[in-house]
Amino acid sequence: MTEPARFRGLLAAEWIKLWSLRSTRWLVGLGVLAIVAFAVQSSLNAHHSWPGFTAREKALFDPLSEAFSGLAATLLMIGAGTVGALTIVGEYATGLIRTTLAAVPARHRVVAAKLVVVGAVTLVTGALVSAATFGVSQAILSDLGVAVRPGDPGVLRVLAANALLAPVSALVGMGIGALVRHTAGAVVSVCGVLVIVPTFFRPTVHQWLNDLYALVPFYVWRTCLGLPQLRDDPALPTVTGSWAVFAAWPLAAAVLTLVVVHRRDV
Amino acid sequence: MIEVNELTKRYGEVTAVNGLTFTVRPGCVTGFLGPNGAGKSTTMRMILGLNRPTSGSATVEGRPFARHRAGLRHAGALLDAGDVHGGRTAAAHLGALAAGNGLPRRRVGEVLRDVGLESAARRRVGGFSLGMRQRLGIAAALLGDPPVLLFDEPVNGLDPEGVRWVRGLFRRLAGEGRTVLVSSHLMSEMEHTADRLVVIGRGELIADESAAEFAARGTGAGVIVRTPDPAELAAVLTQAGAHVRQDDGDALTVTGLTAARVGELAYERRILLRELAPRAASLEQAFMELTARHADYRAMDGAGAP
Repeated sequence: MTEPARFRGLLAAEWIKLWSLRSTRWLVGLGVLAIVAFAVQSSLNAHHSWPGFTAREKALFDPLSEAFSGLAATLLMIGAGTVGALTIVGEYATGLIRTTLAAVPARHRVVAAKLVVVGAVTLVTGALVSAATFGVSQAILSDLGVAVRPGDPGVLRVLAANALLAPVSALVGMGIGALVRHTAGAVVSVCGVLVIVPTFFRPTVHQWLNDLYALVPFYVWRTCLGLPQLRDDPALPTVTGSWAVFAAWPLAAAVLTLVVVHRRDV
Repeated sequence: MIEVNELTKRYGEVTAVNGLTFTVRPGCVTGFLGPNGAGKSTTMRMILGLNRPTSGSATVEGRPFARHRAGLRHAGALLDAGDVHGGRTAAAHLGALAAGNGLPRRRVGEVLRDVGLESAARRRVGGFSLGMRQRLGIAAALLGDPPVLLFDEPVNGLDPEGVRWVRGLFRRLAGEGRTVLVSSHLMSEMEHTADRLVVIGRGELIADESAAEFAARGTGAGVIVRTPDPAELAAVLTQAGAHVRQDDGDALTVTGLTAARVGELAYERRILLRELAPRAASLEQAFMELTARHADYRAMDGAGAP
């Protein structure tokens, strides 16, 4: 009776909770399929239009954006952010959180297990999406002479950034979920914070605004990490700074989730 | 064993629980009674570490509950049957709880069988009736085979057969030496279930005693005695601290002493008794009387309604 509950058990509990919901299976399944289907459609389109491209268009052609476009990134971020938010909101909105925390009173361990499971599942999903979209797109474009290899400059970085969008968004989603604790409100906030608001950000002549934009994950992906070739422009985020943003947001969200869940009465 | 010590919870200006101190002992069913809004649920949540007390403390098996890693092995609780995610099956819900406490998977099947839900194991909780959810909540409480059990209004939504079952279950759990705390706002529920009562009103302790002692507080309780010498017996009993009322003829109604004690006193003074009958007061009546001074709840509810 005195055997302590191991962390592995908490991970198993969160794993069961995640996959026993239909919403998770549908979100992940349909999301992955949709993003890969976009890659196929976009690559086929490019393949069709290729003979009509001008020389300049051919020179500027980015095969990676055919594989994983801004739309794909939007879908991945909203999907992963929603999964992350629902793991917390699903507990608070239903009252399950009381059952959960009465069963495991050490709240930080419950939250840590959630962060690990959601982070790992969305990382694997993101890696799968990144690899699959790259694979199908390359297969379609291979006979045009524009195919790239993972070893080419910048390619591995783009693939890694594409994959990491999912866990970054999922953990930010968890933080938002812990704050909002209301299903619709959390999902709307996730979309707004992660994608909708950053969509309107464009490099400006005001450097302080550019510096501010360079703190937003979707923006740094769009203008830096998601592009194989980077322009050396002080208005654009740097690679190092962008990776720091990719690390800081989920970290801050994790701390926020821990603090909020720890402090609040349930 | 549950020990509550000077427990207080304030929400801004409102004091939900005020300096509550009581002990819930193992081996018996303790009823936790009070009108709606008396602070029963808040107290139970504080015992389980879900709500932080403003001051005071509560321990389960000698430690603050939040210090236990595997909560289900130390205390099982049914606080609200709705505290589940309707999208999961009963088996998945319990499976996650079991995994988090390092309990073997087979416990899920065992507790589902114990509460009579085995045929619904693969069904989504969202489609369960309130009674089925209560059973599922009881199953979750039993999962870790804990020495302490807390049930908040467990009878809600159960059919008469379910009510009988749940009463038997509480008696069995207490008989196994566990600590069982069952809250209710209905006295009648406790009449056949609880050995001891903790009664609160407006967040304050009103009584903490055996169910029999509590019932004896009500004016309905008493002992009817018939004797050829009522005046002498009345004097003796009054001296012993009882309140005695002379009824018609040779009958007395005695309150404040048990029938056994009345018999003893009469025997010592060689007073003949022709009848000695304890008149059981219902717990209900004692409860109503003791909580009557908290009746301003009702008035406040009425005033608060638009």
